[in-house]
Amino acid sequence: MSRFGTMRIGGLALAVASLTALAACSSSSSSSSSSSTTTTTPGAITQPGSVGEIPAAGTPSGTASTFTYALAPGAVPNWILPMPTSATNSVYNVFNFEWQMWPPMYYAPSGSTPTIDPTLSVANPPTWSNGDKTMTITLKPWKWNTGQTISSQDVAFTFDMIKAGVKASPANWSAYVPGYFPDILSSMSEPNASTIVVNLSKAVNPTWMEYDILGSVPIMPSFAWAKDSASGSTLDFTNPANAAKIFAFLTAASKSVSTYATNPLWQTVYGPYKLSAFNDTTGAFTMVPNTTYSGPHANPMSTYVGVPFTSNAAEWNAVKTGSVDFGYVPQEDVPQISQLKGLGYNYYGLPDFGNYFVAYNFKDKTGNFNAVASQLYFRQAMQHLEDQAGQIKAYFNGAGDPAYGPIPAFPKSPFLPANAATNPYPFSVQSAMTVLKNNGWNVVPNGTDTCAKPGTATGDCGAGIPAGTKLAFNLIYNTTPPIPGQVEDLASNAKAAGIEIALSGSNFNFMIQNYNDAASTANENKWAMEDFGGETNSTYPTQFGVYNTGGSGQIGAYSNPTADSLINTSVTGANPNAVTSEASFFTTNLPVLWQPELDYIWAWKTTISSSEPAGIENLTQYDNTPQYWYLHK
Amino acid sequence: MTAYLLRRVGTSIIVLIGISIFVFLLLHAIYPSPARDVLGLKANNAQIAAWNQQHGFDRPVIEQYLTYMNQLLHGNLGYSYADNQTVGSLFAERLARSIYLSGMSLLLAILIALPLGIYQAVKRNSLGDNVLTSAAFILYSMPSFFLGIILIQIFAISFPILNFEASQSTNIWVVVGDWHSMLLPILTLTLITVAAFSRYMRSSSIDVLAQDYIKVARAKGLPERLVLTRHMVRNASLPMITLVGLFLPALLAGNLIVESLFNYQGLGLLFYDSLGKADYPVLLAYTLIGAFFVVLGNLVADFALTIADPRIRLA
Repeated sequence: MSRFGTMRIGGLALAVASLTALAACSSSSSSSSSSSTTTTTPGAITQPGSVGEIPAAGTPSGTASTFTYALAPGAVPNWILPMPTSATNSVYNVFNFEWQMWPPMYYAPSGSTPTIDPTLSVANPPTWSNGDKTMTITLKPWKWNTGQTISSQDVAFTFDMIKAGVKASPANWSAYVPGYFPDILSSMSEPNASTIVVNLSKAVNPTWMEYDILGSVPIMPSFAWAKDSASGSTLDFTNPANAAKIFAFLTAASKSVSTYATNPLWQTVYGPYKLSAFNDTTGAFTMVPNTTYSGPHANPMSTYVGVPFTSNAAEWNAVKTGSVDFGYVPQEDVPQISQLKGLGYNYYGLPDFGNYFVAYNFKDKTGNFNAVASQLYFRQAMQHLEDQAGQIKAYFNGAGDPAYGPIPAFPKSPFLPANAATNPYPFSVQSAMTVLKNNGWNVVPNGTDTCAKPGTATGDCGAGIPAGTKLAFNLIYNTTPPIPGQVEDLASNAKAAGIEIALSGSNFNFMIQNYNDAASTANENKWAMEDFGGETNSTYPTQFGVYNTGGSGQIGAYSNPTADSLINTSVTGANPNAVTSEASFFTTNLPVLWQPELDYIWAWKTTISSSEPAGIENLTQYDNTPQYWYLHK
Repeated sequence: MTAYLLRRVGTSIIVLIGISIFVFLLLHAIYPSPARDVLGLKANNAQIAAWNQQHGFDRPVIEQYLTYMNQLLHGNLGYSYADNQTVGSLFAERLARSIYLSGMSLLLAILIALPLGIYQAVKRNSLGDNVLTSAAFILYSMPSFFLGIILIQIFAISFPILNFEASQSTNIWVVVGDWHSMLLPILTLTLITVAAFSRYMRSSSIDVLAQDYIKVARAKGLPERLVLTRHMVRNASLPMITLVGLFLPALLAGNLIVESLFNYQGLGLLFYDSLGKADYPVLLAYTLIGAFFVVLGNLVADFALTIADPRIRLA
């Protein structure tokens, strides 16, 4: 997986998967305007920033089929309990596998838009009271495939399993953050079979809770899973001791990969699919339709088959030979994208919800870099040196979109702040030099800039920067393309402005272990900037954990009281737009150097349509909803 | 012979222990704990600490090593936290597949390269020799990935007579019988190995043909066929025995590139994936078993040489 590391989701980690991160498109397309240069067919769907199009849906053939879906290298499922651990929280386990059987209470994304899709959600939007400390969840009358209606008892069971899991180990639930859910879960009551009232010990932001926490929680069947052995009887899960035993039993079953398709536990589902075959060597799986699925779907639904691949080359060969119905376009093969139509495929691509960046190390004392990086004007000058349009054209083959903050300009997001829709710091070496000159630096184009006016007054270099300090530092980068080209471009532009950047290559795993102020204090003076890839946003794109002081995902120890306050409001305040204010601040305050986004492009056979456009659009977000797919006439 | 065998086994055990210590310490020097890689960038400290405790990474390295070796001596290769399976089961699922792919291509390469090398030596500097030499150089200098892509393009895409990927069955007998899927990966490995082996065999045969005993045999009027079969082939094959012995570890190591290109789950790919996932138990087990095969391969080659060349005695 090239550009980045493991593809994770939710509020937790991620850096876009290398193997599956895509780029580039045809030469006729250009970054943000690619849609405008694409000839569209009547009824086809495109959107700003997209590559390719989704043709108008065809008339259903009325015949059930079997659709094969390409699984990227290393993207095979290895966890089935719909409560992913920190180690198993990947889009491949969750989106492509578990959610087919047990979708979350609140399903997101909605196509390529990072919002809740109410039609795919099991529960109605929660209502809040008691100063956002009490939430009432009402379930839709959806049914388990065993005939029972999903009940508030099942939701209570699910929450108790989360509590038991986290109590056993904080790593047992990926969405866990100490001090938040389920730590703040003080009591639950079930006034009726479809309603559960949850009392929290402190207020939370309702949107954050719905999108990022409940949006990652599928419901578990209390009537089938509340036991501590395969042959055991149902236990009272409200008893913590019993809950611990049940959790241990379910976890052990989830570790038995070879029995996924045969263990009766996993045959009780309410999602659109039920697992019928699983190959524990290759990771291939087959899911058959759950004929009692209560949510929206094509009629008839088709069988869904996950086909694993050991390399992008193998996957691309499968596309070229027409061996898969849904396949991704590897980054290195994007220049061949024009062949897809001739091969019988449509294609469509967008960036995923995330951001790519070069991190600053605010603790690196080498050459007083910590003091330099702390100056906003320096970060603004650096951002002026980032030629996003040029990089998209040169290194992404045109298949990418600009991004100016934590929420990318594309795809469309209801949380995008106005100042991140256009570039607040457009590429200009001259502008960068002007900013530096105006702040006390002796600028030497193609030489080395030095601080000429030390001090803290307006027009001075700033606190902690003595006279003669040079703008010369290192940047460590992940050698997976297109990063090397991007950082070389940045270094070249910087040199033109008199900033010397010494580049050195590394790999993703080594970087996040060793060039990470939170994880490796011994190395905090060994790196000034680093580019390992990026991060994927949660549906509600708060940077909680990433840019708050002491956040667990902090790389370079960025700290800003305003940022802390805004993030806190995003997580605990009542304002649903708080996260937009937060993103607006990070767009201008530049905790990192923002980079453009790669498009994630999928191809699917021209004989296939989706009963909802979202059923194709969401492929660009690592999500899939095969219940919508059908063969057309 | 028995004393020699015991000495070699004893030495091998020491080598294996040394390798285990070296690899264990090396991994832990690079990453004292792989928790950050496994749990992700945003995993919080509580999660990191809990994971380290669960997997023993919170204990001193020496203690971790001794625990690991104790498990190993009891036949427990560990548990892959990346794949959620025991290392033993991961290996069991893939070992036969890798052995078939590597072994079949090795066998074919030997069967083709030996006569080819002999032919080239006997017909040295002929048109046939020059053509085969050129072909061997082209194949030898060609990365297996590139050769594989060319073969796929020709035989699976342009003229779709073979499958673009290897057999996906987990039943080894189905894999063996699925020539439609297995031909291209085996051919890719075979062609490159043939190129290397035939060069060795040609060179070795030319050396032998220049030896006095060959001249004597010819001077005595022995038919050329018997000169070649009785006196040249056996002697010329001696270096090949050593070479093939060194190839034995590949049976375990698998062939990462070919497995990757032809969508074939084998041991080579398992190792590569485990590197990316910082899956220590798999990496350790793979390295140790690989070392075992290297030692075994050398031992087998030494014994085979004594059979092929009566002048060599083990002592």
